[in-house]
Amino acid sequence: MFGRRRVGEAVLSAEALRLVEVRKTYGTAGNVVTALDGVSLSLATGSFTAVMGPSGSGKSTLLQCAAGLEPLDSGTVVVDGQPLVGRGEAQLTRFRRERIGFVFQQYNLLPTLTVLENVVLPLKLAGRRVDTERAGRILAQMGLADRLRHRPDELSGGQRQRVAIARALLVEPRVVFADEPTGALDSRTAREILALVREVVQVHGRTVVMVTHDPVAAAAADTVLFLADGRLAGHLARPTPEAVAERLTHLGNAARDDVTLEV
Amino acid sequence: MLILAWRSVRQRPGQFTATLLAAWLGAVIIMLFNSLHDTAASAGVDAASAESLHLTGGVVGGYGTLLVFLAIASTLTVTVRQRGEELSLLRHIGATPGQIRTMVIGEASLIGLAGTLLAVWPAILGGRLLLDRFQETGQVADGVDHTFGPIVAGAGSAVMLLACTGAAAVAVRRAGRAPGRRPRQRGRLAAGALSLAAGIAGVGATFGMQATDSALMAAPAYGSILLAAGLAVFSPYLLRALLRPMGPVLIRVFGGGGHLAVLNTRERAAELSAVLMPLVLFTGLATATLYLQAVESDAIRAAGIRRSVEDTNLETLNFTVVGIIAGFACLMLINSLYSATTYRRREFGQQRLAGATPAQVLSMVGCETVLVTVTGVVFGTLAGAAGVVAFAAVRTDDPDPGQGPWIWLGVVALCTAATATTTLVTARRVSGVPAVHAVAAA
Repeated sequence: MFGRRRVGEAVLSAEALRLVEVRKTYGTAGNVVTALDGVSLSLATGSFTAVMGPSGSGKSTLLQCAAGLEPLDSGTVVVDGQPLVGRGEAQLTRFRRERIGFVFQQYNLLPTLTVLENVVLPLKLAGRRVDTERAGRILAQMGLADRLRHRPDELSGGQRQRVAIARALLVEPRVVFADEPTGALDSRTAREILALVREVVQVHGRTVVMVTHDPVAAAAADTVLFLADGRLAGHLARPTPEAVAERLTHLGNAARDDVTLEV
Repeated sequence: MLILAWRSVRQRPGQFTATLLAAWLGAVIIMLFNSLHDTAASAGVDAASAESLHLTGGVVGGYGTLLVFLAIASTLTVTVRQRGEELSLLRHIGATPGQIRTMVIGEASLIGLAGTLLAVWPAILGGRLLLDRFQETGQVADGVDHTFGPIVAGAGSAVMLLACTGAAAVAVRRAGRAPGRRPRQRGRLAAGALSLAAGIAGVGATFGMQATDSALMAAPAYGSILLAAGLAVFSPYLLRALLRPMGPVLIRVFGGGGHLAVLNTRERAAELSAVLMPLVLFTGLATATLYLQAVESDAIRAAGIRRSVEDTNLETLNFTVVGIIAGFACLMLINSLYSATTYRRREFGQQRLAGATPAQVLSMVGCETVLVTVTGVVFGTLAGAAGVVAFAAVRTDDPDPGQGPWIWLGVVALCTAATATTTLVTARRVSGVPAVHAVAAA
C-alpha cells in the first residue's frame, strides 16, 4: 500500500480513460457553437469503443479533447490515472507521447521520411531507445515487411494507414485514438484495417477509442457510444451494423425534432 | 481561367503578399535606375552629366535587373508550390494543364502590374534623392531635373511583365505536373549549369577589358550574380554530401529536432534550393559589389589623385548605389524565408502530432537554419570572390583585392541575423496554432 513506485515499473490502471463533465465551445461571443456539452464517460483498459453520431455531433472534438489536442473549456480528462489539464503545449506533448497513440483519417505521415523512419520518429523525439528490430517486426505483422524503405507517397491508402497503426503501437500507448481511420479507404481495405485495429486491442492489449460515421466500422468495436448535439445519447454493447444504423437513424430524428422545437 | 485568376487575386490578397512585395521592390529598383536614363536623355543635359547617369543606370541598373528577375522567380517558385493542393483540386474538376498555366501566369501578370503601379511614386522619390546625391558630388550639373519618362515606362513595365510571367511559367510547369511522380530535376540542373557557365564567362570577360574601362565593374558583377544563382541550384546536393559526416554531431547538439532536420535536409533538395537561392544571391552580390567598390576606391586613391572632399563624397555615392541593390537582396531574402517557413505549417503540425514538442520543432528549424546559412555563406562567398579577384587583377594588376575581412564579416552577420530572425520568428508563430488545426486542409 505504501510501496514506492519504482522507475520502469508500469502500473496499469484498470481505467484507461475518464472524462468528467467535459465542455467545449467554438466561435466568438454572439455566435457560440457548443461542441461538447458536459460529456462524462469511463473506459476500461483493454476496451474497444466506437464513438458515433451525425455530423456536427461533436465526435471529433470529443476525441481531440480527450487526447489533449484541444484545450477544454471546463471538465477533466484522466488518461491512465493521470489528469490532463492546465499544462503548456510542451508538457502536453510529453504527456501524449508517453501514453497516447493516434491514427488519423489522413494518416499524417511525414512525406519526407521512409516508412521505418516514420514509425520510429515518436520514440526518437521522446529520446527513447529505438528498437529497430521491434519496429520491423510490427511492420511485418502489418504486412509491410518489404516496404520499410519506401516513402508514404509510394504506398496505397491502406498501406499508409497500416504504417500509422504501427507508429501508434510502437510507443506502447495506454490509449489509441483513431479518428475515422477507414474514412478514406475502400470497403475491402477498410475491413482489413478494422481487423488490425481489433488486433491492437486483442493481441497487443491496448485500449482503442475510434470515432467513425460508418456503422460497419463501429460494429467492429465492443461498445458503441452515441453522441448527439454534444451530449452522450446512449450506448450499444456487442453492436451489429444493422443495430448501429438503426440507432443512428433515431438520433437523426431526435436532432431534427430538437430543431423543430427551437423554431 | 483569367476570370478565376482575377477572382483569386481579389478575394485572397493575403496569399499574394509575398509575390506582390517582391514585384513592388523589384519594380522600384528597375524604375529607379532606368529613370537615370530618362533624366540623361532629357533636353539640355550636358554630355558629362549624361555620361555619369547612363553609366550608373547601365551598370548598376543592368545587374540590378538580373537580380530582380532571379528574386521574383525564386519567390514565385515558392508561392506556386504552396498552392499545390489548390492546383490539383482544379485539375480534378477538369482544368487542363494549359488552363492552370493560364491562370497562374495571369495572376502573376496582375500582381506584376499592381507592383509596378505601386512602385511609380517611390521610384520617382528615390530617383530624385539619388539625383541630389549625384549633384552634391558634382557628377551631374546642378540644373538637371529628374525625369520619369518613356524609358522608365517602357523598360520598367516590360522587364517586370517579363520577369513575372516568365517566372510564373517556369514555376507552374513544375507545379502543374500530375502528383505522385517525382519532379524531374534535369531542367533545373541544366539551368543551374547554364547559369554557372554564363557566370564564368562574365568573370572571364573582365580580363578582356581595360583597367580604365568605365563599365569594367559590370562584367564581374554580372558574373558573380550568375555564379551565385548556379551554385544555389547545386548547393543542396553538396549540403547532402556534407550531412554524412556532420549529421551525428548535429543530432547530438540539437537532439530530436536535429534528427528531424537531418532527415529533412536529406530529402528536401528542391525546397532547400528555393531558400538557398536568395541566401547565396545576397551573400554573393553584397560581397561582390561592396568589395568591387572598395577596390575601385583604393585604385583611384593609388592613382595619385589628391583625395579631396569630393572624392570622399563620390565614394559615399558609389556605396549608396550598391547599398540599394544589396538592401534589395536582403529584403528579398527575408521575404522568401518568410513565405517558405509559413508554408511548413502543416508539416510542423504533423511533427507535433507525432510527438514533437514546440521546442523540438524550433530546434529543428534552428538546426536547418545553421546548415542553410553556412551553405549559403560558403557558396555566396565563392561566387562573390570570383568576381572581386578578377576585377582586382584587371584594375590593379594584383589579384589580391587588398581589403580587410570587415565588409565580408558585416555581410555574413547581416545574412545570419536576417535568416535566423525571420525563420525562427515565423516558425514560432506558425506552430502557435493547435496541431490538429495545422494539419487540417486549409
